[in-house]
Amino acid sequence: MTQNIFIKNQVFQLHHLGGIFWKQKSLLLISDVHLGKVSHFRKFGAAVPRKAIHKNYVLLDKVVTDFQPFQICFLGDLFHSYLNKEWQLFENWVAKTPAEIILVSGNHDIIAPEKFEQLQVKVFSEWVLDDFLLTHHPEEREGLFTFCGHIHPAIKLQGFGRQRLKLSCFFKTKNQMILPAFGEFTGTHALQPSKEDEVYAIVEDAVVKV
Amino acid sequence: MTQKELIHIAENWFQNQGWKPFPFQKKTWRAFLEGKHGLLNAPTGSGKTYALWFPIVLNYIKHNPDYKTRHKKGLKAIWITPLRALSQEIKQSAERITQDLETQMTVGIRTGDTSTKERARQRKTMPDLLITTPESLHLLLSSKEYAKTFANCSAVVVDEWHELLGSKRGVQMELGISRLKTVCKNLRIWGISATIGNLEQAQQVLLGAMSPQLENSILVKANLNKKITVKSIIPKKMETFPWRGHLGLHLLDEVVPIINNSKTTLLFTNTRSQCEIWFQKILEKYPEFAGEIAMHHGSINKETRLWVEQAIRNESLKAVVCTSSLDLGVDFAPVETVIQIGGPKGVARFLQRAGRSGHRPGKESVIYFLPTHAIELIEAAAMQKAVRNSAVEDRIPYLNSFDVLIQYLTTLAVSDGFYPEEIYPEIKQTFCYQAISEEQWQWLLNFLVMGSQSLKSYDEYKKVEVEDDGKFKVNNRAVGIRHRFQIGTIVGDAHISVRYQKGGYIGSIEEYFISKLSPGDVFTFAGRNLEFIRIKGMAAHVKNSTKRTNKVPSWMGGRLSFSAKMSELLRQELYTAELPVEKQSREIKSLLPMFLKQREESIVPQPHQFLIETFKTRDGYHHIFYPFEGRAIHEGMSSLLAYRISLLAPITCSLAFNDYGFELLSDKEIDIQAILDNNLFTTDYMLSDLQKSLNSNEMARRKFRDIAVISGMVFTGYPEKGVKMKHLQSSSELLFDVFKDFEDDNLLYQQAFTETFEHQLEEGRLRLALERIAQQEIVWRKCERPTPFSFPIITDRLREKLSNEKLADRIKRMTAKLT
Repeated sequence: MTQNIFIKNQVFQLHHLGGIFWKQKSLLLISDVHLGKVSHFRKFGAAVPRKAIHKNYVLLDKVVTDFQPFQICFLGDLFHSYLNKEWQLFENWVAKTPAEIILVSGNHDIIAPEKFEQLQVKVFSEWVLDDFLLTHHPEEREGLFTFCGHIHPAIKLQGFGRQRLKLSCFFKTKNQMILPAFGEFTGTHALQPSKEDEVYAIVEDAVVKV
Repeated sequence: MTQKELIHIAENWFQNQGWKPFPFQKKTWRAFLEGKHGLLNAPTGSGKTYALWFPIVLNYIKHNPDYKTRHKKGLKAIWITPLRALSQEIKQSAERITQDLETQMTVGIRTGDTSTKERARQRKTMPDLLITTPESLHLLLSSKEYAKTFANCSAVVVDEWHELLGSKRGVQMELGISRLKTVCKNLRIWGISATIGNLEQAQQVLLGAMSPQLENSILVKANLNKKITVKSIIPKKMETFPWRGHLGLHLLDEVVPIINNSKTTLLFTNTRSQCEIWFQKILEKYPEFAGEIAMHHGSINKETRLWVEQAIRNESLKAVVCTSSLDLGVDFAPVETVIQIGGPKGVARFLQRAGRSGHRPGKESVIYFLPTHAIELIEAAAMQKAVRNSAVEDRIPYLNSFDVLIQYLTTLAVSDGFYPEEIYPEIKQTFCYQAISEEQWQWLLNFLVMGSQSLKSYDEYKKVEVEDDGKFKVNNRAVGIRHRFQIGTIVGDAHISVRYQKGGYIGSIEEYFISKLSPGDVFTFAGRNLEFIRIKGMAAHVKNSTKRTNKVPSWMGGRLSFSAKMSELLRQELYTAELPVEKQSREIKSLLPMFLKQREESIVPQPHQFLIETFKTRDGYHHIFYPFEGRAIHEGMSSLLAYRISLLAPITCSLAFNDYGFELLSDKEIDIQAILDNNLFTTDYMLSDLQKSLNSNEMARRKFRDIAVISGMVFTGYPEKGVKMKHLQSSSELLFDVFKDFEDDNLLYQQAFTETFEHQLEEGRLRLALERIAQQEIVWRKCERPTPFSFPIITDRLREKLSNEKLADRIKRMTAKLT
C-alpha cells in the first residue's frame, strides 16, 4: 500500500518498505540500505543470523517489482563498510535488475567508486534534478526541495492509557523529505516534529500520515 | 610437621594478638589440612579471612619445612573476591600471617585496577597468594600456558560466594573452578558465604554436582549468635506522610538525633541517586555537619571511596550516606548504628547491613528502618519478624547459561586452545551444566566455529578454528584481543567518565544521563554541583558550580523482589490491620489513618479475600490486583492475565507492578466480570500461556541484551580504554528482532525465554500463588478515585506493554495525542 503526495506539481509515492517513487521521472529513491552489514559483523565474530543477509535483496526486489522504475537512486549508505563477499550478491542483483542504478554516496560508502562503475552504477556526491536536490546528508538549499537519508527517522506516538509507540517514518519538512532506512538490521532515530512538518509513519504494510 | 604442631603455630599467633580462635576457625583449619573441600558460613567481620588464610599458609609450611630460609616460588592459592575494593583488606590480613610466621611468601592483587607494569611482573613470577576477581581469573585462563601457572596451586577460596551464586558471575566461577580442578595437581576448593536459605545447594554449586570434591567436603557454620535490634522510624503525623515516594526525606529531621547520639552511623540507600540527594539535603538543612559526613557509592572514584573507608575506621566521620557499595567486606569497628532508608527488599541484605554496626564480638547490632512511604511501614514490621525468625531467602543458581559457556570456551580457545573431549566432562560436572545434552554441546561447538549450524561458501564468519588434530583455537590476534576486552558477565549501560576541565577524575555516569544535558546545565554528582561543559572523547568535562539544581543522575539499579518467605510475612502483617489494636505492631497502629482512607472506597483484604480495584483517571482505565506475592510473581501474573484477557477481545495495555500488587492500564475498560467468569486465574495451560505472553512483551527482549553481550554477539566498545568500535556496534534490540525473524531456534535466543521463566518469573512460585488465589473470595471494588494501596503502583513509570490489536487500529486512536 502506498501513499501519494505532491511536491512542486510532481507526484511521489511513498512505499511501506521505505522507498519513494517519483512518478513523472519513473525514478525510485531508496536510502540507507547498509548492505553487507550482517556479513561485516560475522567477519568480526558476531554471529548475526546469516539468513538476514538475503532479506535486503528480497525487499529490494519487491519494491522494484511494485514500481518498475527506469532509474533507481540510492541516497547513500548503500554499503555498511569495506568490501566483503556480499558484493557478489549485489553484483547479481544489479545484473538482473532492469533499471539504471545511481548512488549518491553517504558517509558509510567507502567502497571505491570504480567498483560501482564496473557494474555500470554511477556514483555522485549529490544530484540536482529539476527543482530537486538528491543527497545523503540533510541539507536545505535555496530554491530546491531536498530528498535525503542518513538520519533513519522514526516517530514516537503517545495515547490514552500511557500507550507509546515508535515507528519508522518518512519525515517531511517544508523543503525537505528525509527517507527512512530501507535496510534490515539498521535501527532508527526518533525525531520531534514541529507544526509544519508532515510525518508518514510505516505501519506494517501501509504508510499512514500522522 | 604434624597437624597438631601446625595448628599450634596458628593458635600461638592468636595468643600473641591477645585473641582466641573461634571454634569455626579451628574446624576450618583442620578440615583444610585434612585435604577437605568445603563451604564456610560466616558473616563479615567474624574473622573468616583468618579461617582460610591460615591453613593455606600452614599447608605450605608443612610441605616446606625450611620455609624460613628457602622460598619456593610460584602460585599457591587464589582468593576470589566479587569486589575489587575489598582486595586491599584481604591482602593486609594475608600479609600479617605470612610475615608474622616468617615465611617468605608474597601476596599480590590482580584486578581491573592492576597496572600493566604489575601485570607484566606477575606474568614472570606469580605471587604465592593471589587475590583476584572472577573476571580476572578468566583473563588468566585466556593467557598462554596458563596451566603451568596454576599447576602448583593448592587452594582456591571464593569469598562472598552468596553474592556470586545467584548471578552469572557465579556461573563464571563454576567454570573457572571446573578447569582448575584439572590443571592444579592438588587443589582444595573453599567458599565463604553469609547466611542464605539454600546453603547446602550453595556448597553443591561451588564444588560441582555429584563431583568427588563434593563427596569429600564439609559445611562449617560459624553460628555466632549476634543480637540484632530493629527499630522503625515512625512519622509523627501520619496524615501528611506520603502514600508513595522513594526518597524518604520527610523523615530527615528524625535522623539527625540518631546520628548525633552515635559515634558513627551508616545510612544505606537503595540507589545512587537517592544517596546523592540524601547527602545534599542533610547538608542543606544541617550545615553544621559539613566535613563530618561523607558519601560512598559505586560511581565515585576509587580514591575518594578509599578515603571514606579509612575515615570510618579513624572515627573521623559522624555519618556516611552509602549504597550497597558498603554492603560487603571492610571491617568497620567504629560503626555503632545503621539506618536503612526504604525497603531493603531482602532479609539477608537487611541482616548484612545490620551487621555493619556493633562489629565487635558480643556487641549488639542496631538498625533503624526508615520508611519512604506509608505502605513500607508494613514492610518494616514484617522485616522485624523475619529477622527474629532468620527467614532468609534463597539465592537461585543459574542453569544452562549457554552465553557464559560460549564466552568461556572462547577464552580457552584464545589461550592454548581446547579439545572438546577433554572439556565436556569437566563442564558436565558443574552444577550449571549438569543437564547439558550432547546435541546442545555440539550446537555450541558449531556456533563457535561457523556462527551457525552449517557452512556456506559466501560466509566469512571468523572466530574459533578447528585445527587438524581437533583442537579448537583462536588464531586471529584481533579476535583474541577483542575477546579479552569482553570477558565478564556484568552488563551495564555505556559509562562515561566525569572529569574537571583542568583534569581530575570525579567518577563515571551512564551515557544516557549525559546525553540529555546541554552545556551550561548544572547537576549533582559525588556530592558536588557541577556544570556540564562538553563531551570530549569518552569523558564529560565539568566545572564546579554554585547554582542549585535538582538534576541528579539516575542509575537503573536492579529492582529487587521479595522472596516467598518475606511475601508471606508481609501478608500476615497486613492482615493484622483488622485485629484489635492491642494485638497490632507499632507500625500497623500508626497506619490507621491510611487504612481508614483505604476503607472509604475499598477494603483492607483479609486472608480469605483477593482484592481487585478498578477506577478511571486521566491516564486511562486502571485495573489493580493485589496478590501480595512480591514483584517477580506480579510481573509474571500480570503478563499472564493480560495475555488471557487479550484472547477474549483485542486489547492494548501497559503493566505496572510492585511487591504488593499489579496494574493493567488500558485506554478501554476491561470487563472484570469476564475475567472471573472465564476463570482467568487458572493454573491450566499456565506455562504455554506465559510463554505466549512473553512473545508479546519486552521481558525476554531485555534478558537477551545481557546474553548477546556475554556471548560476544554485541560489542560494547571500551569507553574507559578509549577504544571505539562504532562500525561493530549494534543494539541487542535489533539483534533480537533478527533472531526472531530468521533464527528462532538459536539456543542463545531461546535462553532469553527460559531465563525469564526460571529466574525472573519463578514459575513454581507463580503456580502456588495462583492456587492460593483460587481458594480466595474475590472482592471487586469499583472506586471513584485511586486508593492508598493503589497509589504506589499507578504512579510507577516503568512499565511492560502488551498488545494484540492491529497496529493500524491503535494508530488511529493515538494520532490525536501526538507529543
